[in-house]
Amino acid sequence: MTVIELDLDAVLDTLDQMSSQRPVAAQIVATSNNENCGASQLAAILGADITLAAKVMKLANSAYFGLSGRVRSLQFAVAVVGFNTVRSVATVALSGTDEAQTVPDGFWKTSVHLAAACGALGPQFDERTADAMCLGLLAQLGAALLHQADPEGYVELMSRTDFGMRRFEEEARRYGICSTQLTAEALHQWSFPTEMVDALREVRSGDQGALLRTAYELTARSLYTRHRRTPLERLSQGKVTDAQASAKLAAIKDDVETLRSAMGL
Amino acid sequence: MTAASAASPVGDADIPRLPRQTGQVVTAVFQAVAADPEVAVLVAEVGDADEAVIRWSNPRASELLGRARSDLDGELLADFLTWPMGVSAAAVFRRERLTTTSVTLRTAVGETVACRAHAVPAPGGRLWTLQVHPAHSEREIALRASAAAHEHRFRMLAERSPVPTMMSEQGMRLGHVNDALCSLLGVTADKLVGTGWMSYAHLDDLEAISETVVAVLAGQEREMQARFLDSHRRVHYTDMRFTPLHTPGVGDGFVATLEDITERRAFEEQLNFQATHDALTGLPRRTRLWEHITAVMADTDAGLACMFLDLDNFKLVNDSLGHKAGDALLVEVAHRLTGSVRPGDLVARFGGDEFVVACGTGSLDAALEVADRILRVLNEAVVLGGVEIHPRASIGVVLRGPEHQSADDLIRDCDIAMYQAKARGKGRIMVLDAGARSAVYDTLTLVADLRQAIEDDHITLCYQPIVAYRGADASPELASVEALARWRHPERGTVPADVFVRLAEEHGLVHDLGRVVLETACAALADWQRELGPIAPPRVNVNLSVLQMSDPRLVQTVKRTLRRFGLRPDQLCLEITESALMKDPDTAAMVLGQLRDHGVLVAIDDFGTGYSSLAYLRQLPVNYLKVDRSFVAELQDGHTAVAKAVISLAHNLDLGVVAEGVETGTQRQMLERMGCSLLQGFGISQPLDETGFVDWCLSGYPAANGGTA
Repeated sequence: MTVIELDLDAVLDTLDQMSSQRPVAAQIVATSNNENCGASQLAAILGADITLAAKVMKLANSAYFGLSGRVRSLQFAVAVVGFNTVRSVATVALSGTDEAQTVPDGFWKTSVHLAAACGALGPQFDERTADAMCLGLLAQLGAALLHQADPEGYVELMSRTDFGMRRFEEEARRYGICSTQLTAEALHQWSFPTEMVDALREVRSGDQGALLRTAYELTARSLYTRHRRTPLERLSQGKVTDAQASAKLAAIKDDVETLRSAMGL
Repeated sequence: MTAASAASPVGDADIPRLPRQTGQVVTAVFQAVAADPEVAVLVAEVGDADEAVIRWSNPRASELLGRARSDLDGELLADFLTWPMGVSAAAVFRRERLTTTSVTLRTAVGETVACRAHAVPAPGGRLWTLQVHPAHSEREIALRASAAAHEHRFRMLAERSPVPTMMSEQGMRLGHVNDALCSLLGVTADKLVGTGWMSYAHLDDLEAISETVVAVLAGQEREMQARFLDSHRRVHYTDMRFTPLHTPGVGDGFVATLEDITERRAFEEQLNFQATHDALTGLPRRTRLWEHITAVMADTDAGLACMFLDLDNFKLVNDSLGHKAGDALLVEVAHRLTGSVRPGDLVARFGGDEFVVACGTGSLDAALEVADRILRVLNEAVVLGGVEIHPRASIGVVLRGPEHQSADDLIRDCDIAMYQAKARGKGRIMVLDAGARSAVYDTLTLVADLRQAIEDDHITLCYQPIVAYRGADASPELASVEALARWRHPERGTVPADVFVRLAEEHGLVHDLGRVVLETACAALADWQRELGPIAPPRVNVNLSVLQMSDPRLVQTVKRTLRRFGLRPDQLCLEITESALMKDPDTAAMVLGQLRDHGVLVAIDDFGTGYSSLAYLRQLPVNYLKVDRSFVAELQDGHTAVAKAVISLAHNLDLGVVAEGVETGTQRQMLERMGCSLLQGFGISQPLDETGFVDWCLSGYPAANGGTA
């Protein structure tokens, strides 16, 4: 098997360069890390990027947050979707994955599924729904970066590995780091909360990664009929059982539709 | 700081320029790092095989790993420290940037400690400084444990609370629900978290809930009532109380508690139903009728016809078959009425045997069609107490018009129409006639004026003498004087006494009117006694209405008035008509008995016209019979039998007798021959105002023209 020497610094440098092209998104990512930052302050910054502001307004008015058509101010929109969500939307813009033509096939489809799955699972893992949703939404950022660095190789890797744990192992073997851990490095670089970074880093093992592991498994079950199942009890450290799978999948399916439409993905 | 600057690699630009005393500064920094009691510092050298070897450690690192610093030097870092799964040394030891990684330390005694490690590359490319912090300081651990305990307590409190509770951290999406809410809706929590709970809210209330949440997210506390459907689709009425929930750095959500008020509401609805519906028939009462009509009239274009229905001869059923049968008839009528109207029409029981139907139509033909159907259906046989009855009713119909500003106006008009129907022979439908309405308005205005006149003492009295003749040549003696009420309306002129007395009786003014007449008459007699001495009338006669007989305060009022004006009871004679007396002879006997016991005299007015039972007459405590003027008038035509009989009856019962309406000397002579010496009429004197009466007395009681005093 080919092992690629991935220049992690070069990959992360690419993201730094993107930041300078989307200054408002970069400022939002930095500002919303500040616990003292209020919705009005964040909304004021967001207002300088019409595209981003529109995305947040659309999201706040989506069925996902249950307030369709009632959120009329940007400040209220920020309060409704939460700072973490605003930051995640900005991060997507910052990473350029929303516009990139080079993301792997089905990238956003799986990302939205992951976001919905994390959101639906969040409370069982003592995570806020919106925080968990952001975790799922951004988890695949590393996969996009790996794909950019090694387009053909990554597509080939995707074609022969199941989405989830088996693919992580293969990514680690090939690149020395799996996609979610690469996401962790990128988010760490942007000073995302430690809990979020750890959840991504520990996706292959460890307590913090249980939510994301479970979300990947449910997403794989939802999207890939030939997916080889791993018991949810094991992945979630006993928090979710296979008996609950069908109910969870149904809830995720509903949220996927609203999120996809809300985020314009 | 911007994300771009946060993400910058550790480069020359970030290294502060060293001052001149470089050596001293390096020593100072080194000493500080070496002696730092909080941070463990390891210097590692990374070789070609990515294997890191420890080259230096500070005392805190030695303490943390439980090994002497000398034992650590030259050892492989991997023997003491494990990276997270999938994280390689190459990913941690980066030549161009600082990295932070969670790591697990292994101590000398085999303990593992979760830590965070910052790897800072040193110039030269082979050495890295590794700053290792326990993932959580003892203080942090204590604070987290305390916070976790707090959270656990509150979570238990919320989860075990019997009050259904929901919590959203952002927007309408719920993060938590408690057991009581799951129990209320009969579902598990996973069906309610997220936006799942919204599918259990009543569709008609979801909009209001959302609007409330918007206000709550903006920082307001709110309460509202909303319906929820449980897993069996049963409706639960709840009082929802919302409190905003702000999580710093996260966003805005809410906590809401739900109080199931379904049973309370059902009870309140039952009470409300009882308050607004008639217990006997189950039909809405007046209040609900008013609300309904007012609501319809709020729409200026809405058609509305109102019909007032009064059962004909209902009293007959009650009196002959008993109240139970009467009630059964009302229930049957209510049933037939509700079955005869159209969907959306309202049938209300107005009171007694009166019903009102409000039809949502602007067409008179349609309203009359309903009224026709009602009469037809009502007239079908009903058996009450073994008797077959065909109920009939009179119906007044009115169509809403521009002159109707309120429910009052509309109902008043259909009431008028109903009275027209009654007046024209019952069992019929009448549409409101404008002339009739104006007549009723006229009467109502007159009643209002009468009320005012009584209050303002504008009711005056006239006095007609009652004179006794003791033989053909004897001088007339003044036996008494009858007080007669008069009302001169400022615009209409004199209103006949029979008109305003009837109005007073019909509109509850008769007690006040009676009191005014009694007081004025007694005051006048007292004045005359004082001013005229022996020529003053010895007593005054005052008329009583039949309605005054039912006034429990009548006797007391009479006694108090006599006392007030210093009169003896025998100076007052109360007159009551024979027909009034016979309406309730038992009550009359009791009241008159009390008055006569007190010494007040009693006369039966218009005697001979009221079909008195002679047996009753014998028992009644009366002093005089007054022969009706019609019998006096026919004396000259030779019809003397009735007058004779009355006079004879009075004598036989040992009662005094007064002839009314004496106009001529012939009548007087004939009456004297029959033994009736007390006379009253235009032949003696017409009714006089107070001044005229005093002059009449002072003039020696002159007979009027045509009379022969």
